Amino acid sequence: MASSSQFKQLEKLGNGTYATVYKGLNKTTGVYVALKEVKLDSEEGTPSTAVREISLMKELKHENIVRLYDVIHTENKLTLVFEFMDNDLKKYMDSRIVGNTPYGFEMSLVKYFEWQLLQGVAFCHENRILHRDLKPQNLLINNKGQLKLGDFGLARAFGIPVNTFSSEVVTLWYRAPDVLMGSRTYSTSIDIWSCGCILAEMITGRPLFPGTNDEEQLKLIFETMGTSSERTWPGISNLPKYNAQQPQHLPKDLGALLQTQTREKMDLALVDLLYGLLQLNPDRRLSAKQALNHPWFAEYYQH
Amino acid sequence: MSVQETGDVNAQKEEGVPSDETDKKSDILQKECNTSAQEQEPVPNVVLPSNFSKCSRSDLVTLISRMLSFLIRINDSVSKTEQYELTRFHSRVPPQISVYDYLMRLTRYSALEPAVLIASVYYIDLFSAIYPAFSLNSLTVHRFLLTATAVASKGLCDSFCTNTHYAKVGGVQCSELHVLENDFLKRVNYRILPRDDNILSCKLERQEGVFVTDAYPEGHVRGPKNGFNVLDTYYRKIIEIVGSYDSSPDKTKKAHYSMESPVKKEDVDCSKKKRVLDETDADLKITSSKKPA
Repeated sequence: MASSSQFKQLEKLGNGTYATVYKGLNKTTGVYVALKEVKLDSEEGTPSTAVREISLMKELKHENIVRLYDVIHTENKLTLVFEFMDNDLKKYMDSRIVGNTPYGFEMSLVKYFEWQLLQGVAFCHENRILHRDLKPQNLLINNKGQLKLGDFGLARAFGIPVNTFSSEVVTLWYRAPDVLMGSRTYSTSIDIWSCGCILAEMITGRPLFPGTNDEEQLKLIFETMGTSSERTWPGISNLPKYNAQQPQHLPKDLGALLQTQTREKMDLALVDLLYGLLQLNPDRRLSAKQALNHPWFAEYYQH
Repeated sequence: MSVQETGDVNAQKEEGVPSDETDKKSDILQKECNTSAQEQEPVPNVVLPSNFSKCSRSDLVTLISRMLSFLIRINDSVSKTEQYELTRFHSRVPPQISVYDYLMRLTRYSALEPAVLIASVYYIDLFSAIYPAFSLNSLTVHRFLLTATAVASKGLCDSFCTNTHYAKVGGVQCSELHVLENDFLKRVNYRILPRDDNILSCKLERQEGVFVTDAYPEGHVRGPKNGFNVLDTYYRKIIEIVGSYDSSPDKTKKAHYSMESPVKKEDVDCSKKKRVLDETDADLKITSSKKPA
């Protein structure tokens, strides 16, 4: 196992949810790495986020998931050594804003990124791991156009039946309606909703549902996707924060809505995939595997 | 001796060829049963749910402390005759509090979930396999349980406490729990998700001096259900090994435990819709202040 002297610490890359990340250079191999420094807390000991991130990422070796190479223990901190990535999807999208106008990506790039995102998610789900915090900031990209899932600090294993499932997961804009209404029995579908939000955001350059609080977030979702009822979503009225008095909305034409915000052509297959990922009822949402077999991706899997 | 090994021993016993010996043994057991039955009222039978997360925690604590007492009796007799290496988990003398009382205390005041309790038993096998100096005995059991339950809660559950809290409940200094936790995580190389190939992976990593093994065979097929049902297997094994009241030195609760026959598919679907907290859990009042993940 590596020691800290093996790495030269370079510039700061950012502050993660519970740690500071630096660029580093492996002095023996000349390879760049990302060094995530976690302070050991005097009350908490090893933070649970670090315990999770390390234990889960050890199980995940996939080309669309950032690789964890090593963990270095020193007196009062842990350093997680990750594969280095040039950028994240959020910064990359921001770099394309001209004046005040955001621009989405060319459709071929949208498709390539979404394909890789779903490949990474499918691998997590196959290994019974939920990411629970998919958003552009946590999707890392490099100059070869590769996209990889990072930051597993909120992730957890599923299939290990525990009674406490937190509903305080996923950054608000990418949080599924069932979770917003307090569901604690969510599963893989929670990540799929985020994949749908990210797909729309890559097309237009703008977040699809930029709410500022839980209520507004649900309102934005229902205004676009239409309100649900017991008929379209059996069990919805049992959710803790279900509001029977909410104003009713009919679903809008998502394809037409997004078409006004992009110069690229919104084809029918793409709109159909978006609806598959953004089903309000979690049981009706596509799985990552199903999404990868969607006709919109035909050019990838038909080779 | 680990849980896995005791399981093997039992399996061998069942298939055992020398019928003479087994007959004698069952004779002795028979006599013991008869005498105890004559002197005292009969031992009640308790049927446990096949899904461990529905098992009441007081029954689980009883079963697990029987399992641990069973292992401790064997391991104590071995370590008395052999020179043993001290680990961070050793106490100077066996603590006063019984395994049952200690586990009950941790469960009650740190609100441990069934999955955490069973994972702790799984961690005995994992830890003993990759750290040969360690064995679960009357000197190590308390610190081990405290560490294992704290690590499992932090790693597997969304609701858990601080080390300060766990240490207070467990009766050690917080700084000591930090050290124990760190020692445990480093030795098992952070492989704390219950998976059936963890021991193999840890050993490979140790051999090669790496953090994550690449030597792992591509397309390696995990055990039944891809090794994701390790905790179910342990739950079943524990009931098999120490379900009977006569099987363990721990006599805290007078009961024979057995597992109900597996539920049908329709029942599973029903239970999925509504998750009601186990009524028997009501006796375990959660007094700890929990913080969300």
